[in-house]
Amino acid sequence: MTDETNARGAQGDNQVMIRLERLEKRYPGQERPAVAELTMEIPEGEIVILVGPSGCGKTTTLKMINRVIEPTSGRILLEGDDVTNADPDKLRRRMGYVIQQIGLFPHMTIAQNIALVPGLLNWDKRRIDLRVDELLDLVGMDPSDYRNRYPKELSGGQRQRVGVARALSADPPVMLMDEPFGAIDPITRDRLQNEFLRLQEEIKKTIVFVTHDIDEAIKMGDRIAILREESSIAQYDKPEHILSNPADSFVEDFIGRGASLKGLNLQRVRDVEFAHWPTANHTATRGEVLEALRRSDQGAVLLLDEQRRPRRWVDARDLDRTDKPLVETGLRPEAIVTGATTLLDTLNEMLKSRVACAIVADDSGAYVGAVDIDTIMESIQSMRAAAREQSRLLAGAEIGEVSS
Amino acid sequence: MNFLQDFATYLEFQSAELIQATIEHAGLVLVSIAIATVIGVGLGVAVYQTDRPAKISLAVVGTMLTIPSFALFGLLTEPFGLGATAAVIALVMYGLLPIVRNTVVGLRSVDPAVIESATGMGMNRWQRLARIELPLAWPIIITGVRVSTVITVGIAAIAAIINGPGLGKDIFRALARIGSPFAVYQALAPVLGIIFLGILFDVFFLVLRRLTTSRGLR
Ligand SMILES: Nc1ncnc2c1ncn2[C@@H]1O[C@H](COP(=O)(O)OP(=O)(O)OP(=O)(O)O)[C@@H](O)[C@H]1O
Ligand SMILES: [Mg+2]
Repeated sequence: MTDETNARGAQGDNQVMIRLERLEKRYPGQERPAVAELTMEIPEGEIVILVGPSGCGKTTTLKMINRVIEPTSGRILLEGDDVTNADPDKLRRRMGYVIQQIGLFPHMTIAQNIALVPGLLNWDKRRIDLRVDELLDLVGMDPSDYRNRYPKELSGGQRQRVGVARALSADPPVMLMDEPFGAIDPITRDRLQNEFLRLQEEIKKTIVFVTHDIDEAIKMGDRIAILREESSIAQYDKPEHILSNPADSFVEDFIGRGASLKGLNLQRVRDVEFAHWPTANHTATRGEVLEALRRSDQGAVLLLDEQRRPRRWVDARDLDRTDKPLVETGLRPEAIVTGATTLLDTLNEMLKSRVACAIVADDSGAYVGAVDIDTIMESIQSMRAAAREQSRLLAGAEIGEVSS
Repeated sequence: MNFLQDFATYLEFQSAELIQATIEHAGLVLVSIAIATVIGVGLGVAVYQTDRPAKISLAVVGTMLTIPSFALFGLLTEPFGLGATAAVIALVMYGLLPIVRNTVVGLRSVDPAVIESATGMGMNRWQRLARIELPLAWPIIITGVRVSTVITVGIAAIAAIINGPGLGKDIFRALARIGSPFAVYQALAPVLGIIFLGILFDVFFLVLRRLTTSRGLR
């Protein structure tokens, strides 16, 4: 692989938003540079992940992009403009910035925190107010409830969301995020990651995202740069290529065992075929439900409420019982996912609730279909097959190059 | 009983002058503290980010507090003559240490993550200082001002030896007449006035601190 393809991350079609050219940082009094001659391109509208072992220079690299750390040498280009010597404050207003500790301003309300940058840009008050409410809605927090609270009155996850909302306030084209979900418990982190991915589908920002967690990288990244010491790029590529075709043993070790299971993080529920179960309204009579069950080849019927939200699984045995209303028999539906849920999360949901089938619901919670555990197993197998196929092709290509 | 009755009569007889002197005393303290706050916070802001200049400034303002007050008031009459000017300058010098120290400590205690996100959002040094760092350091700074005020209320009495205004005048007059029947009352009344002012300012700054500190910091 040449340096140039390494810098591009196995090109897509998107325009280059940020280009780093031979970027270097030497901290005073240190023998080796923290970042040595890094050249890298970040395409517009994608999430690019910088991942690597602790101390490899991820944070230093990220902070050189908005020049919170000034590079020792090299150039930074933003949308083609050399911004290496531009006014750093102007540069920073074109980039949202989220750090692990979040750094909300404790003496300001949530609204004031979010309104700060628009205020610096002299937006009028009405526009700022509208923007604050819009952003709070966007990150899933009710403006009327949260606008006037102070940071100490929020949970860790809520603070993180406000941090993201604040970084988005002036609608910058670029977001820089340094381990934004690092200090949060795994369950909340998972939820924030999912919310963030959904958000990104709407806002389509160019995002540079630092993490040391390869699983987070695979889940969140459109493109991943795996870095080793001094921020040198071991591999920069789409996650599926990295998983199926690690560039060297460093990358192999870093992505670790179970790479094909990790591949499940790349596929989402909406990418697979749904299974369909018979359904009935929760007020339906036993006869109607029995009829629905007979007409299908499945063993149970899913009762839905008026909004078509799943209420209960009932089977033939439940229909025989007459001591309780039908909706109180059977099983409460568990493992409910949406189209945006990754297959890995879906599998986890199933394992957690010990069912072999997850219900797929839309954003309002209405039933859409179901995913069987067999469908997930098939995905794993086809991914393995594809990976084997690809590495055979690549091995062939390399032999071809050598002999020509 | 007799003593208290006589003292009450004295207070009644002297009340107009005592009130006048108390107001002058409070005025002297407030003017000095206002100046000390401006200089002290300014100096604190100028040096908090650096190591040696901060240490040197604190050493210098700390040394001022060790100069015996009689000597300092006396020395200042040389360039400034007798009266209020020299008194104010001396009190400013005594008031600086708590204000400078608390400003430096307060600004240094601001969470680095908060400063980093402010910088990363594109705030320049002055915006950061005015909108983030000073408001966050404010409860600590105002505590410094409060301590400084209470110290100054006492020391201000000595301003009387250089003809400064305030409650000190009566104390010195009483000292000159020790043994005479009214000397004790004459000394006691201003001392009570000083204690009263000390408590008043203390409470005032506690309330001010509460009113001017963001709810998010409490
Ligand atoms: N202010 C500094 N002064 C001197 N050396 C520094 C400074 N900041 C970072 N370094 C060094 O530079 C190297 C890269 O640090 P950096 O913080 O970029 O790593 P990182 O990849 O973000 O690590 P982590 O995953 O632990 O956050 C490290 O060896 C670190 O010790
Ligand atoms: Mg880091």
